[in-house]
Amino acid sequence: MALMPKRVKFRKSQRGKIKGNAHRGNTVSYGEYGLQSMDSGWLSAQAIEAGRITASHAIHGEGKLFIRVFPNKSITSIPAETRMGKGKGEPEYWAAVVKSGMILYEIGGLPEAIAKDALSKVAYKMPFRCRLVSRRPSIG
Amino acid sequence: MVQVVKVKAQSRKEQGSKASKKLRKTGLVPCVVYGHKESAISLSASHAELIKIVKHGVRLVDLETDGKVEKALIRDVQWDFLGNDVIHVDFSRVSADEKIHITVSLELKGTAPGLLSGGVLDMPMHSIHIECLVLNIPDVIRVNVSELQVGGVIHVKELVAPEGVKFLADEDAVVVHIVSAKAEVASTVPPELGAATEPEVIKKPKPVAEEEE
Repeated sequence: MALMPKRVKFRKSQRGKIKGNAHRGNTVSYGEYGLQSMDSGWLSAQAIEAGRITASHAIHGEGKLFIRVFPNKSITSIPAETRMGKGKGEPEYWAAVVKSGMILYEIGGLPEAIAKDALSKVAYKMPFRCRLVSRRPSIG
Repeated sequence: MVQVVKVKAQSRKEQGSKASKKLRKTGLVPCVVYGHKESAISLSASHAELIKIVKHGVRLVDLETDGKVEKALIRDVQWDFLGNDVIHVDFSRVSADEKIHITVSLELKGTAPGLLSGGVLDMPMHSIHIECLVLNIPDVIRVNVSELQVGGVIHVKELVAPEGVKFLADEDAVVVHIVSAKAEVASTVPPELGAATEPEVIKKPKPVAEEEE
Protein backbone atom coordinates (compact mmCIF):
# COMPACT_ATOMS: atom_id res chain seq x y z
CA MET A 1 0.00 0.00 0.00
CA ALA A 2 1.21 3.48 -0.85
CA LEU A 3 2.32 5.93 1.81
CA MET A 4 -0.21 8.12 3.61
CA PRO A 5 -0.47 9.76 7.05
CA LYS A 6 -1.73 7.66 9.95
CA ARG A 7 -3.80 10.43 11.50
CA VAL A 8 -4.98 13.71 10.03
CA LYS A 9 -6.84 16.71 11.38
CA PHE A 10 -8.91 17.13 8.20
CA ARG A 11 -9.69 14.60 5.45
CA LYS A 12 -9.65 17.12 2.62
CA SER A 13 -7.32 20.04 1.98
CA GLN A 14 -7.38 23.02 -0.35
CA ARG A 15 -5.19 22.87 -3.42
CA GLY A 16 -2.87 25.73 -2.49
CA LYS A 17 -0.20 27.32 -4.67
CA ILE A 18 3.36 26.14 -5.03
CA LYS A 19 5.37 29.32 -4.92
CA GLY A 20 9.12 29.73 -5.09
CA ASN A 21 11.93 27.28 -4.64
CA ALA A 22 12.91 24.88 -1.89
CA HIS A 23 15.06 26.50 0.74
CA ARG A 24 14.76 23.52 3.09
CA GLY A 25 15.28 19.89 2.20
CA ASN A 26 17.47 20.90 -0.72
CA THR A 27 20.76 19.34 0.39
CA VAL A 28 21.91 15.73 0.47
CA SER A 29 21.80 15.02 4.21
CA TYR A 30 21.66 11.27 4.86
CA GLY A 31 23.31 9.46 1.95
CA GLU A 32 26.05 10.41 -0.49
CA TYR A 33 24.00 10.87 -3.67
CA GLY A 34 20.55 12.31 -4.18
CA LEU A 35 17.84 12.95 -6.74
CA GLN A 36 16.89 16.62 -6.88
CA SER A 37 13.68 17.92 -8.44
CA MET A 38 14.13 20.74 -10.94
CA ASP A 39 10.43 21.62 -11.13
CA SER A 40 7.65 21.91 -8.63
CA GLY A 41 4.43 19.93 -8.41
CA TRP A 42 2.57 17.21 -6.59
CA LEU A 43 4.33 13.89 -6.21
CA SER A 44 1.75 11.18 -5.63
CA ALA A 45 2.24 8.38 -3.12
CA GLN A 46 2.09 5.93 -6.04
CA ALA A 47 4.97 7.71 -7.77
CA ILE A 48 7.02 7.71 -4.55
CA GLU A 49 6.38 3.97 -4.17
CA ALA A 50 7.27 3.36 -7.85
CA GLY A 51 10.54 5.20 -7.27
CA ARG A 52 11.26 3.20 -4.13
CA ILE A 53 10.67 -0.13 -5.91
CA THR A 54 12.84 0.91 -8.87
CA ALA A 55 15.66 2.04 -6.59
CA SER A 56 15.58 -1.07 -4.42
CA HIS A 57 15.64 -3.30 -7.53
CA ALA A 58 18.58 -1.33 -8.90
CA ILE A 59 20.66 -1.49 -5.73
CA HIS A 60 20.00 -5.24 -5.19
CA GLY A 61 19.52 -4.90 -1.43
CA GLU A 62 22.89 -3.24 -0.96
CA GLY A 63 23.39 0.28 0.33
CA LYS A 64 20.77 2.38 2.02
CA LEU A 65 17.89 4.22 0.39
CA PHE A 66 16.36 7.32 1.97
CA ILE A 67 13.01 8.75 0.87
CA ARG A 68 13.00 12.46 1.68
CA VAL A 69 9.38 13.29 0.79
CA PHE A 70 6.14 12.17 2.38
CA PRO A 71 2.64 12.45 0.87
CA ASN A 72 0.77 14.43 3.50
CA LYS A 73 -1.74 16.20 1.23
CA SER A 74 -5.00 14.54 0.21
CA ILE A 75 -6.04 15.21 -3.37
CA THR A 76 -9.77 15.02 -4.08
CA SER A 77 -11.64 14.52 -7.31
CA ILE A 78 -15.25 14.25 -8.42
CA PRO A 79 -16.48 11.37 -10.62
CA ALA A 80 -16.85 11.88 -14.38
CA GLU A 81 -20.18 13.18 -15.72
CA THR A 82 -21.16 14.68 -12.39
CA ARG A 83 -23.28 17.83 -12.30
CA MET A 84 -21.80 20.99 -10.85
CA GLY A 85 -22.12 21.58 -7.14
CA LYS A 86 -22.89 19.07 -4.40
CA GLY A 87 -19.67 19.85 -2.59
CA LYS A 88 -16.06 18.86 -2.74
CA GLY A 89 -15.11 15.45 -4.09
CA GLU A 90 -13.74 12.53 -2.15
CA PRO A 91 -10.00 12.00 -1.48
CA GLU A 92 -8.52 10.07 -4.42
CA TYR A 93 -4.86 9.86 -3.50
CA TRP A 94 -2.17 11.38 -1.31
CA ALA A 95 0.63 13.57 -2.59
CA ALA A 96 3.74 15.38 -1.44
CA VAL A 97 4.13 19.04 -2.35
CA VAL A 98 7.48 19.31 -4.10
CA LYS A 99 9.28 22.57 -4.81
CA SER A 100 12.14 22.90 -7.27
CA GLY A 101 15.42 22.07 -5.58
CA MET A 102 14.00 19.49 -3.16
CA ILE A 103 15.88 16.23 -2.67
CA LEU A 104 13.47 13.35 -3.27
CA TYR A 105 15.62 10.25 -2.73
CA GLU A 106 19.09 9.64 -1.36
CA ILE A 107 21.37 6.62 -1.58
CA GLY A 108 24.27 5.89 0.75
CA GLY A 109 26.86 3.17 1.23
CA LEU A 110 27.26 2.37 -2.48
CA PRO A 111 29.85 3.20 -5.15
CA GLU A 112 29.11 6.29 -7.23
CA ALA A 113 28.40 4.41 -10.47
CA ILE A 114 25.77 2.09 -8.92
CA ALA A 115 24.11 4.88 -6.92
CA LYS A 116 23.89 7.17 -9.94
CA ASP A 117 22.58 4.38 -12.15
CA ALA A 118 19.85 3.60 -9.58
CA LEU A 119 18.84 7.24 -9.20
CA SER A 120 18.73 7.82 -12.95
CA LYS A 121 16.27 4.91 -13.20
CA VAL A 122 14.19 6.47 -10.42
CA ALA A 123 14.19 9.78 -12.32
CA TYR A 124 12.14 8.13 -15.10
CA LYS A 125 9.37 7.48 -12.60
CA MET A 126 9.16 11.09 -11.45
CA PRO A 127 6.57 13.43 -12.96
CA PHE A 128 9.05 16.28 -13.29
CA ARG A 129 12.63 16.97 -14.39
CA CYS A 130 15.19 15.67 -11.91
CA ARG A 131 18.95 15.66 -11.67
CA LEU A 132 21.56 13.76 -9.71
CA VAL A 133 23.49 15.55 -6.99
CA SER A 134 26.18 14.45 -4.59
CA ARG A 135 26.92 15.47 -1.02
CA ARG A 136 28.82 18.72 -0.58
CA PRO A 137 31.95 18.69 1.61
CA SER A 138 31.26 20.08 5.07
CA ILE A 139 32.52 23.60 5.75
CA GLY A 140 32.64 25.54 8.98
CA MET B 1 48.89 19.97 5.35
CA VAL B 2 46.22 22.54 4.73
CA GLN B 3 46.12 24.26 1.36
CA VAL B 4 46.24 28.09 1.47
CA VAL B 5 44.89 30.02 -1.51
CA LYS B 6 45.06 33.77 -2.16
CA VAL B 7 41.69 35.50 -2.59
CA LYS B 8 41.33 39.09 -3.76
CA ALA B 9 38.38 40.96 -2.30
CA GLN B 10 37.16 44.55 -2.27
CA SER B 11 35.34 46.23 0.57
CA ARG B 12 31.76 47.25 -0.27
CA LYS B 13 29.53 49.92 1.15
CA GLU B 14 26.14 48.82 -0.16
CA GLN B 15 24.43 46.24 2.01
CA GLY B 16 21.10 44.42 1.97
CA SER B 17 19.43 41.97 -0.36
CA LYS B 18 18.80 44.45 -3.19
CA ALA B 19 22.43 45.58 -3.37
CA SER B 20 23.62 41.97 -3.04
CA LYS B 21 21.45 40.90 -5.99
CA LYS B 22 22.94 43.70 -8.10
CA LEU B 23 26.40 42.65 -7.04
CA ARG B 24 25.79 39.02 -8.02
CA LYS B 25 24.67 40.11 -11.48
CA THR B 26 28.10 41.68 -12.02
CA GLY B 27 29.87 38.37 -11.30
CA LEU B 28 30.78 39.15 -7.70
CA VAL B 29 29.74 37.44 -4.48
CA PRO B 30 29.01 39.34 -1.25
CA CYS B 31 31.27 38.19 1.57
CA VAL B 32 31.98 39.22 5.14
CA VAL B 33 35.09 38.94 7.27
CA TYR B 34 34.93 38.97 11.06
CA GLY B 35 36.74 37.79 14.17
CA HIS B 36 39.70 38.64 16.41
CA LYS B 37 37.58 41.32 18.12
CA GLU B 38 37.88 43.57 15.06
CA SER B 39 34.91 45.04 13.28
CA ALA B 40 33.14 42.98 10.62
CA ILE B 41 33.84 44.19 7.09
CA SER B 42 31.54 43.60 4.13
CA LEU B 43 33.46 42.48 1.07
CA SER B 44 32.89 41.31 -2.45
CA ALA B 45 34.96 38.74 -4.33
CA SER B 46 34.91 37.13 -7.75
CA HIS B 47 32.32 34.36 -8.08
CA ALA B 48 34.49 32.31 -10.44
CA GLU B 49 37.41 32.44 -8.02
CA LEU B 50 35.30 31.59 -4.95
CA ILE B 51 33.37 28.69 -6.48
CA LYS B 52 36.65 27.17 -7.65
CA ILE B 53 38.20 27.21 -4.17
CA VAL B 54 35.02 26.11 -2.39
CA LYS B 55 34.53 23.14 -4.73
CA HIS B 56 38.17 22.14 -4.25
CA GLY B 57 37.59 21.99 -0.49
CA VAL B 58 39.96 24.84 0.39
CA ARG B 59 39.47 25.94 4.03
CA LEU B 60 42.17 28.54 4.62
CA VAL B 61 42.75 31.62 2.46
CA ASP B 62 45.05 34.63 2.36
CA LEU B 63 42.44 37.34 2.05
CA GLU B 64 43.75 40.43 0.25
CA THR B 65 41.49 43.38 1.02
CA ASP B 66 42.43 46.85 -0.20
CA GLY B 67 46.16 46.07 -0.09
CA LYS B 68 46.03 44.36 3.34
CA VAL B 69 46.58 40.58 3.52
CA GLU B 70 45.18 38.54 6.42
CA LYS B 71 44.68 34.83 7.02
CA ALA B 72 41.04 33.84 7.06
CA LEU B 73 39.08 30.65 7.39
CA ILE B 74 36.05 29.93 5.21
CA ARG B 75 33.54 29.70 8.04
CA ASP B 76 30.29 29.42 6.11
CA VAL B 77 29.14 29.20 2.51
CA GLN B 78 25.60 29.92 1.36
CA TRP B 79 24.39 28.25 -1.82
CA ASP B 80 21.46 28.98 -4.09
CA PHE B 81 18.43 26.69 -3.84
CA LEU B 82 19.78 24.23 -6.42
CA GLY B 83 23.25 24.16 -4.88
CA ASN B 84 24.90 25.43 -8.10
CA ASP B 85 26.17 28.86 -7.14
CA VAL B 86 27.72 30.40 -4.08
CA ILE B 87 25.66 33.38 -2.94
CA HIS B 88 27.54 34.43 0.20
CA VAL B 89 30.74 33.53 2.01
CA ASP B 90 31.71 34.13 5.64
CA PHE B 91 35.42 34.51 6.37
CA SER B 92 36.73 34.31 9.91
CA ARG B 93 40.07 35.96 10.79
CA VAL B 94 42.60 33.49 12.16
CA SER B 95 46.28 33.48 13.04
CA ALA B 96 48.65 30.64 12.16
CA ASP B 97 49.19 29.49 15.77
CA GLU B 98 45.53 29.58 16.73
CA LYS B 99 43.46 26.56 17.77
CA ILE B 100 40.11 26.41 16.04
CA HIS B 101 36.95 24.31 16.06
CA ILE B 102 35.98 23.09 12.63
CA THR B 103 33.92 20.39 10.91
CA VAL B 104 35.76 17.92 8.66
CA SER B 105 34.26 15.29 6.35
CA LEU B 106 34.69 11.59 7.09
CA GLU B 107 35.89 9.27 4.34
CA LEU B 108 35.64 5.49 4.35
CA LYS B 109 38.80 3.55 3.58
CA GLY B 110 38.86 -0.07 2.45
CA THR B 111 36.12 -2.59 1.75
CA ALA B 112 34.26 -4.00 4.71
CA PRO B 113 34.08 -7.84 4.71
CA GLY B 114 30.60 -7.49 6.20
CA LEU B 115 29.39 -6.02 2.91
CA LEU B 116 30.55 -9.10 1.00
CA SER B 117 28.63 -11.34 3.39
CA GLY B 118 25.34 -9.55 2.77
CA GLY B 119 25.47 -6.60 5.15
CA VAL B 120 24.37 -3.02 4.48
CA LEU B 121 26.66 -0.16 5.38
CA ASP B 122 25.05 2.66 7.33
CA MET B 123 26.94 5.87 8.01
CA PRO B 124 25.00 8.10 10.39
CA MET B 125 27.93 10.52 10.76
CA HIS B 126 29.30 12.12 7.61
CA SER B 127 31.40 14.84 9.23
CA ILE B 128 33.02 15.38 12.60
CA HIS B 129 33.68 18.41 14.76
CA ILE B 130 37.38 18.73 15.61
CA GLU B 131 39.81 21.04 17.38
CA CYS B 132 43.18 21.67 15.74
CA LEU B 133 45.71 24.30 14.80
CA VAL B 134 44.86 26.42 11.78
CA LEU B 135 47.73 25.01 9.74
CA ASN B 136 46.88 21.43 10.74
CA ILE B 137 43.35 21.19 9.38
CA PRO B 138 43.02 17.74 7.76
CA ASP B 139 41.26 17.50 4.39
CA VAL B 140 39.29 14.46 5.54
CA ILE B 141 39.32 12.03 8.45
CA ARG B 142 39.74 8.50 7.11
CA VAL B 143 37.76 5.71 8.70
CA ASN B 144 39.20 2.24 8.15
CA VAL B 145 36.35 -0.21 7.58
CA SER B 146 38.46 -3.07 6.25
CA GLU B 147 37.77 -5.20 9.36
CA LEU B 148 34.11 -4.37 9.84
CA GLN B 149 31.82 -7.43 9.93
CA VAL B 150 28.01 -7.59 9.96
CA GLY B 151 26.87 -6.09 13.26
CA GLY B 152 30.20 -4.33 13.67
CA VAL B 153 30.24 -0.69 14.79
CA ILE B 154 32.90 2.02 14.69
CA HIS B 155 32.47 4.70 17.35
CA VAL B 156 34.17 8.10 17.55
CA LYS B 157 36.52 6.77 20.25
CA GLU B 158 37.80 4.12 17.82
CA LEU B 159 38.80 6.67 15.17
CA VAL B 160 42.47 7.42 14.66
CA ALA B 161 43.02 11.16 14.97
CA PRO B 162 45.76 12.75 12.84
CA GLU B 163 48.56 14.44 14.76
CA GLY B 164 47.42 17.59 16.57
CA VAL B 165 43.72 16.87 16.03
CA LYS B 166 41.22 16.37 18.86
CA PHE B 167 37.71 15.05 18.24
CA LEU B 168 34.97 17.10 19.91
CA ALA B 169 32.08 14.77 19.08
CA ASP B 170 30.59 12.41 21.68
CA GLU B 171 32.98 9.47 22.15
CA ASP B 172 30.18 6.90 21.98
CA ALA B 173 28.59 8.32 18.84
CA VAL B 174 28.34 5.81 15.98
CA VAL B 175 30.35 6.74 12.90
CA VAL B 176 29.64 3.73 10.72
CA HIS B 177 28.06 0.32 11.22
CA ILE B 178 27.01 -2.66 9.16
CA VAL B 179 23.51 -4.02 9.62
CA SER B 180 22.17 -7.24 8.18
CA ALA B 181 20.39 -6.85 4.84
CA LYS B 182 17.18 -8.50 6.11
CA ALA B 183 16.79 -5.94 8.90
CA GLU B 184 17.46 -3.17 6.38
CA VAL B 185 14.80 -4.39 3.93
CA ALA B 186 12.26 -4.57 6.75
CA SER B 187 12.94 -0.98 7.77
CA THR B 188 12.71 0.47 4.23
CA VAL B 189 9.46 -1.20 3.21
CA PRO B 190 6.57 1.07 4.23
CA PRO B 191 4.36 -0.51 6.88
CA GLU B 192 1.22 -2.14 5.60
CA LEU B 193 -1.77 -0.26 6.84
CA GLY B 194 -4.02 -3.30 6.68
CA ALA B 195 -7.49 -2.70 5.34
CA ALA B 196 -7.43 1.01 6.18
CA THR B 197 -7.64 3.08 3.02
CA GLU B 198 -8.01 6.40 4.79
CA PRO B 199 -6.18 7.82 7.77
CA GLU B 200 -7.86 8.32 11.09
CA VAL B 201 -9.33 11.80 11.54
CA ILE B 202 -8.39 13.47 14.81
CA LYS B 203 -11.63 14.51 16.46
CA LYS B 204 -12.08 16.95 19.30
CA PRO B 205 -13.24 15.23 22.47
CA LYS B 206 -16.93 15.86 23.04
CA PRO B 207 -17.56 18.31 25.90
CA VAL B 208 -19.15 16.65 28.91
CA ALA B 209 -22.76 17.88 29.19
CA GLU B 210 -23.17 19.91 32.38
CA GLU B 211 -25.94 18.72 34.60
CA GLU B 212 -28.72 21.26 34.82
CA GLU B 213 -29.82 22.05 38.30
